[in-house]
Amino acid sequence: MKTPFVFDEFFASGQEESISPFLTKDSKKWGKNLGLRSACSAGCFLALAFGFSFVNQPISFLFLSLVYFFAGVPALLGSLKDIKNLEINIDVLMTLAAFIAVVIGSGLEGALLLVLFELSHGIEENVSRKAKSALHNLNYLAPKFAHVIGENGTLFEKAVREIGVGVQLLVKNGEIVPLDAKVIGGTSSVNLVHLTGESLPVPKTVGDELPAGARNLEAALHLEVLRTSSDSTLARIIQLITQAQEAKPRLQRWLDRFGKRYASTVIGLTLLFACALPFLWSIPFSGAEGSIYRALAFLIAASPCALIIATPTAYLSAISACARSGILLKGGITLDALASCSQIAFDKTGTLTTGELTCTAMEPLDLNALSLAYGLERQVVHPIATAICKLAVKKECLPAPIRGFRAIPGTGVEGVSEEGVVLCIGIPDTLAEKKPGELLALLTVGEKRFLFRFSDQLRKEAPALLQQLKTHPITPLILTGDRLENALPLGQSLGIATIFADLRPEDKLAKVAALSDQGGLAMVGDGINDAPALARATVGISMGKIGSATAVDASDVVLLNDDLSLLPWLFAKAHQTRAIVKQNLTLALVVICFATTPALLGLIPIWTAVLLHEGGTLLVGLNSLRLLKR
Amino acid sequence: MKPSHFKGKEALEHVIEARQKGFAASAEVHGTELPGHYNAAADAAKETSLILTILWTLSVSHQLSLFFLCGWLVWKVGRSAILGWSRLERLHRLIEEERWEIEHHRTQERAELTALYAAKGFSGKLLEEVIDVLMSDDNRLLQVMLEEELGLTLGVYEHPLKQAAGASIGVAGAGLIMSFGLFFLPSWGPALCSGLIIALCSGTSAQLERNKVAPAIIWNLAVAALAALSAYLVAKAAV
Repeated sequence: MKTPFVFDEFFASGQEESISPFLTKDSKKWGKNLGLRSACSAGCFLALAFGFSFVNQPISFLFLSLVYFFAGVPALLGSLKDIKNLEINIDVLMTLAAFIAVVIGSGLEGALLLVLFELSHGIEENVSRKAKSALHNLNYLAPKFAHVIGENGTLFEKAVREIGVGVQLLVKNGEIVPLDAKVIGGTSSVNLVHLTGESLPVPKTVGDELPAGARNLEAALHLEVLRTSSDSTLARIIQLITQAQEAKPRLQRWLDRFGKRYASTVIGLTLLFACALPFLWSIPFSGAEGSIYRALAFLIAASPCALIIATPTAYLSAISACARSGILLKGGITLDALASCSQIAFDKTGTLTTGELTCTAMEPLDLNALSLAYGLERQVVHPIATAICKLAVKKECLPAPIRGFRAIPGTGVEGVSEEGVVLCIGIPDTLAEKKPGELLALLTVGEKRFLFRFSDQLRKEAPALLQQLKTHPITPLILTGDRLENALPLGQSLGIATIFADLRPEDKLAKVAALSDQGGLAMVGDGINDAPALARATVGISMGKIGSATAVDASDVVLLNDDLSLLPWLFAKAHQTRAIVKQNLTLALVVICFATTPALLGLIPIWTAVLLHEGGTLLVGLNSLRLLKR
Repeated sequence: MKPSHFKGKEALEHVIEARQKGFAASAEVHGTELPGHYNAAADAAKETSLILTILWTLSVSHQLSLFFLCGWLVWKVGRSAILGWSRLERLHRLIEEERWEIEHHRTQERAELTALYAAKGFSGKLLEEVIDVLMSDDNRLLQVMLEEELGLTLGVYEHPLKQAAGASIGVAGAGLIMSFGLFFLPSWGPALCSGLIIALCSGTSAQLERNKVAPAIIWNLAVAALAALSAYLVAKAAV
């Protein structure tokens, strides 16, 4: 049977040919990283061209033409597009310099410019590709169709976008609620952890509202649609993420602005020197000593090779060091943003806590009763059941045989032991003994009663992390969608004074926007409800393992092993990277000044200017490599 | 129903027009063969052997023929890749257009589907149910529209670079075989090898296209012979 195609990823990637639905499975790998592969091939051909330039000139030219083919044609196409958009930037300057270099007989130097230029583009493209499908995974969570209950009670599938308000739906156990709806039949509990940060299952019964994206944990629910797909909770989150990404301060803008000004100035000066030098110094227009030659030499020497690699090499070295430590950075500019952060906000559930319900106590502890509870709960898929089973395994209990098992949705489970004793696990009638942030369950074995306490546990590394962060000039705070009564004890135990609780995704986004504008804010989160905030924060940091795919997509940094203890190291690396980038930029500008001025004055030939130029490039590259150290 | 979508035509007429558009987008000129690395290799081998045969009949020096072959190799590889990318671009444009249609003209897409499945013999409640199921999932709907409306097949095309690699193997292989022919039987080896290559490649292509093999081989050999003879005789007449 033919597997249906999923086109969403293809469209989200900007129609990347390596995942084109038209290509055969084997063929797709031919389209992967084409830009980078093309630049690497050009690099190899350049090395051959350089080698053969001492032995056989025509062969050297053959390889040189291959360099211009593989690296020059893409650069030329890109530059023509920029010129068409009336944009004169570094890319245009580099391409112009590379092609003019051929005209004045310095093809090798021009080819070097092109290779460096294409390599940096290829690497940048590779690094940023992962961030392209930011909303793709959220679309996966949102069901595409729902089970609609027809007039005569029949069930049929219908596209979510075609379902209007008032339509009745059936959401089975384990399914995701497709649209914002009201319960009109059935009782169950739902998991809202990714939507609201609420870690405990929430019971829902007739009359309760359910947001799209909630997962139904127990029995089937009969729902009535309250909002269409375009107005649903998930659609609102998608909209918030889009807005947040657009509003995000882009540090790259400074570099872009600088590049445009630099390119326009150099091209303008080249034209000026070519026209004006004969009148100033009484030199001819043409010839090796002429103004045109000198102006072109100036253009090539001023092409910002070192400047172009000053930031990407530093960032890539740091990215590589981070990757080896289990931190994925989506672009080097993130490091600069991290270095500017003065506050760090943590989400509660799944970030500072494990996000899993843990049975913290059984009162009184009775291994026989625990064995009976294990026998009952192993038949159910529910966070409470999982926690009780884990406790039983930890206490080395075996599950007792149970007869007449019955799950009562929204209430609990019941059964009969081998000895004929009636067993029941459910929510206790009185909540007097309940502590903040706790959930209780009552096991009844005949006349005996046992109380189970559950809570979301603090991550082991969290206290040490907060201690280490104190050595950095950064203030920690908590932003959570959970209730304040649940967040307060956690904040107190970790020594975090500022806590913002009961935040819906839009509130969280507004708070993050305000905090980011006050000073840089790094936001650490894991849920879908965190995604807009992660996208809007100066730097969004998500948890790779426990985190929702949407949060991972919307963030700039992913802690691959959910290891929060790496954060202080990451901040230190960000500061080191910023320092090295500054050094590189200064070095590059100094080298360009030293290379262009003598070239313009005719004091040095063009090859010397290029040599000085490339020496500077090499120094910049070596300086960046220092960041590779972990 | 918006006339701008169907442009005054019936849904079925629109479907027929869309299918022609699909065929045009997926077709590619590689001789008469289907696109793909095997056909690119076969096409390149046939053309290379014929051109080398013509150069041989015109007594062009071996050295010049070799230089020509180098340039020819680059041209054939580049052209094959460009043709592949051009086809891929057309297909991607079509899929994007179809997705847009699904998102913005759902009623019209429903009418097209209804026309398509009515033409297949579905009717009444069953037709309605089929259309409801197909319309319930956009991914499935897009696939159905691409295959049924535009007549495209997913997951069958080769990457342009793989196709180009096929072309390079074709040129290099033909050049090598012709060189062997020239080395071992200088008087008639190139013509023999050329015939062999053309016959083999035409036969393979015909088999891949599920065409009749024998007529394909004979027609291709006849055209090649005519081409070589024309060049030779015109050159003779001119001299």
